[in-house]
Amino acid sequence: MDLRLTKTQNMFKRAAADFVKAEAPSHIIAEWFRNKKTFLPDLYCKAASLGWLGMVIPERYGGASASFTDCAVVFEELGRVPLPGPLFSSGVLSALLVLEGASQAQKESLLPGICTGKSIVIAAITDEGVRWGPESVETRLTRTTDGLVLDGTKRFVYDAEAATSFICAARMENGGIALVLVNRESPGISITPHVGFMASVAEVRFDRVQVPASNLLGEAGAGWQILDRALEKALPILCAYQVGACQEIFDFTAEYTRTRVVFGQPIGRFQRVQDHCVELSIHLDAARWLTYETLWKLDSGLPAAASVHEAKAVASEAYYQVCNFSHMVHAGPGTDYGHPLMAHSVMAHTLYQYLGTPLHHKRKMMDALYPRGKG
Amino acid sequence: MDFNVQADTQEISVFRKEVREWLQENMRGAEGLRWSATWSTRENEEEYQFRRKLARKLGEKGWLFPMFPVEYGGAGLTIDHQLVLETELDHYGINLAAVFYTLARIVAPVILKWGAEEQKREFLPPMLRGEVSVWQVLTEPQGGSDIATCRTKAIRNGDHYVVNGQKIMVGYHHPPDFLWTLVCTDPSGPRHENLGWLYIPGNSAGITIQPMSLMMGIKNSVFFDNVRVPAFNLVGGENNGWRVANTHLELEHGGEGRVGADPLVERVVEYCQQMRVAGTPLMEDTSIRDIIADMLIELHVVHHFARRNFWHRYVREPHPYGGAQFRYYQRMVRLRNGERLQRIMGYDALVPDLTVNEVVDFEYVVRSGPGMLHGGGTLDTDRLVFARRVGLGRPTKEKAPTTI
Repeated sequence: MDLRLTKTQNMFKRAAADFVKAEAPSHIIAEWFRNKKTFLPDLYCKAASLGWLGMVIPERYGGASASFTDCAVVFEELGRVPLPGPLFSSGVLSALLVLEGASQAQKESLLPGICTGKSIVIAAITDEGVRWGPESVETRLTRTTDGLVLDGTKRFVYDAEAATSFICAARMENGGIALVLVNRESPGISITPHVGFMASVAEVRFDRVQVPASNLLGEAGAGWQILDRALEKALPILCAYQVGACQEIFDFTAEYTRTRVVFGQPIGRFQRVQDHCVELSIHLDAARWLTYETLWKLDSGLPAAASVHEAKAVASEAYYQVCNFSHMVHAGPGTDYGHPLMAHSVMAHTLYQYLGTPLHHKRKMMDALYPRGKG
Repeated sequence: MDFNVQADTQEISVFRKEVREWLQENMRGAEGLRWSATWSTRENEEEYQFRRKLARKLGEKGWLFPMFPVEYGGAGLTIDHQLVLETELDHYGINLAAVFYTLARIVAPVILKWGAEEQKREFLPPMLRGEVSVWQVLTEPQGGSDIATCRTKAIRNGDHYVVNGQKIMVGYHHPPDFLWTLVCTDPSGPRHENLGWLYIPGNSAGITIQPMSLMMGIKNSVFFDNVRVPAFNLVGGENNGWRVANTHLELEHGGEGRVGADPLVERVVEYCQQMRVAGTPLMEDTSIRDIIADMLIELHVVHHFARRNFWHRYVREPHPYGGAQFRYYQRMVRLRNGERLQRIMGYDALVPDLTVNEVVDFEYVVRSGPGMLHGGGTLDTDRLVFARRVGLGRPTKEKAPTTI
C-alpha cells in the first residue's frame, strides 16, 4: 500500500500545472465559457506538443505508452482549470476506441494523427432518446453496392465542433451495432451547437452520408463491445479530470472563507459555512480515492469494470455537488460568469451527462457485481 | 499508487504464511462464536474469555501492536507486517484494534508519545501484551463533548494525587484494569492549561462503576471518591493535559485508520437473493438494487477514508483533516444505512439475529445509526476540528499530531 505518486507522475503533474498557469489563466477561461468558445486550436496544438494526446497509446502508434495513472495525473491538473477542448474525447476515448476495436492498418493510419493532434476524432453515440445503453442507438447504417450509407441524428455529441472525423455508433440492418469512421467533410454532415447550460456539445446530423466499407471499425456488430472496452479504460481519466476540478474548487472555496468578511467576521467562522465545506470535501475525496483505486486496478491488470462505473458515478456526482456547495459558500459573486466557479458549474453539468449519468453507472456497477437472474 | 494491502514481498509472504497458520491454530474454538460489536447488547462470558485469551496470545508475540518498539512489548515490525496481521484477522470477522474490550489501542500510542521513559517501561508492556484492559475516561455529565471543561479534580498531596469527580458514558461490560483519565490538576488555572492525564489502576479504593444501559449497548458511570493515585501515574506532565488530549483525540476521532471493510453489503445482498416477493427475489427489483448501490458506494468511500488515514498515520504523515472527515462521514453513512435497511426489508430490519456477527446484524445497524452518532464527541465537534485543520475563516491551519 502506497498512496504517493511516483517521481515521474509528480513531474507530469508539475508540467501540466505550469502549462495551465501560463496558457489558461482564470480570466481567459471565464471568457471562453462566457462566449461558449471552448475549442481553441492553438491551445490544443500546444497541449499536443507536450505529449498529452494518446498518452496511454503504445509508442509504436505515436503515443507515450504511459500508465493510466500517469495520464490521470495530467488530466487532474487540466480539470482544475477546467481546460476545455477534445483532449479527453479525442486523445483518450477515441484513441482507445481505435486501439481496442480497429484493424492493424486502421490503427497505423489513425493513431499517429490523433496523438499529434492533427486528427481530432470524436465519438458520436447518443441519438434522439439520450440514453447511454446500446438500446438507444438509432442512427442507421445500410450496405449498398458502393459501400455504406449512414443516416440519422446524433444529439449531444461532446466536442463535435472540433472534430475532423467521427466514430459513429450505428444500427445495422440485422440489428447489430457497428462503429464507423466518418470524415467530417463528407457531404451530408451538418453540425449544430446545442445552446444551453452546457459546454462543447453539438448535434451532428448524418443525412444519407456515404462511407467506404473499409471505414467500419473492427468487426461489424461488435460496436458496442468495443465501446464498452474503450470506456472501461477511458472513463477513469475523465474522472481524474473531475477530481482535479473538485480539488481546485475546494481550494478556492476554503480561501474564500478566509478573505470574505460579513457580519463582522470571515465567513469561515460560521459553522453553517464550515458544514458546506465538510460536505464538499467528502465529495472531493470520495471521487479522488475511487478514481485512483480504479486507475490502479487498470494499471495492475485487475478486473475493473464495476470500479470504473462506480468511479464515474461518484466523480460526476461529486463535481456537480462540489459546485453546488461552493455556490452556497460564494453566494452572489459565484454566479457571475466572470467567476471561476461558473466555468466549473457549466462543466459539471455537462460532464454529469457525458458518457452516462451517475444513475446509469450505478446500475451498470450493480449489474457487473450482481448480474440479474442469479437470484 | 498501490492500493494493494497484500502486496507481499517474499519476506512478507513468509510472515503471512506464519500468521495464517498461527491463526488457524489459535482461532480454534471460535467457530461457534458470533462477535459482539464494540458497544454491544449481547456480550457473553464465553466470547469475552476467548477474546481476552486471543489478545494475550497475540500480545505474547508482539502482534497486538506489531509496529511498537520491542522494548515496550511490540514486535518492532513494519507497516507491511501490520497489514498482514490486519488482513489475516479480518478473515475471521474481527480486527486487530478490537480483539477485546479495551481502548489500549488508543491509549498506548499516546503514552508512547507523551510518557516518561520509566512510565513507558512500566505501563506499556502489559497493555501491548494484551494482559490488561484499559478504558478511556473523558466525558463528564455536565460537559458532554466539551471535555476541556473537566470537573474531575486531581489534587497533588505528597507523592499522590487525590481524585474526586464523576465520568459518564465510558467503558464496556467488564470492569477495566486501568482507567486512562482526563483530570483537572489546577482548578483555578486557565482553560486548556489546567489538565492532566492519570493512568489509574481500576482496583483503587474509592472507584465505583455503575453500568448504564444505552441505545447501543452497555456503558458506565465512574465515580471517584478520594481516590489516591501515585504521582508517578501522571502522564505528560501537570497542566499539560490538553496537548496530550490532542494526540489522544486525533486517534479516537478517526485518525487511527483501519484496513478492513464493513461486510454489511454482502449480507444485505444475501438477504435480497433469498427473500422473494411473489416468487421473485428482491435482488431482481431495480428500486432495491438502486438502494444497495448507494449503500455499497458509501461504505466503499468509508473504507477508502479509513485506509487512507491508516496509511497516513503509519507513514507518520498524518492527514490534515482526514480523521474528522472520516468520522463525520462514517456516522452519517451508518445513519443513512439504517433507513436503507428498513426500506429494503421492512420489519425484518428491526429483528435481532444472533446467528451472525453483531456488526452485520440488521437490527444493530439500524439501532446504532442514531445510537452511535456522538460517541467520543458529537458530529459537530468533528466538523469544528475539520474547519480548524483546513483553516476555514482562519489565516493558519492547525496541524494534525503525529502518532504511531
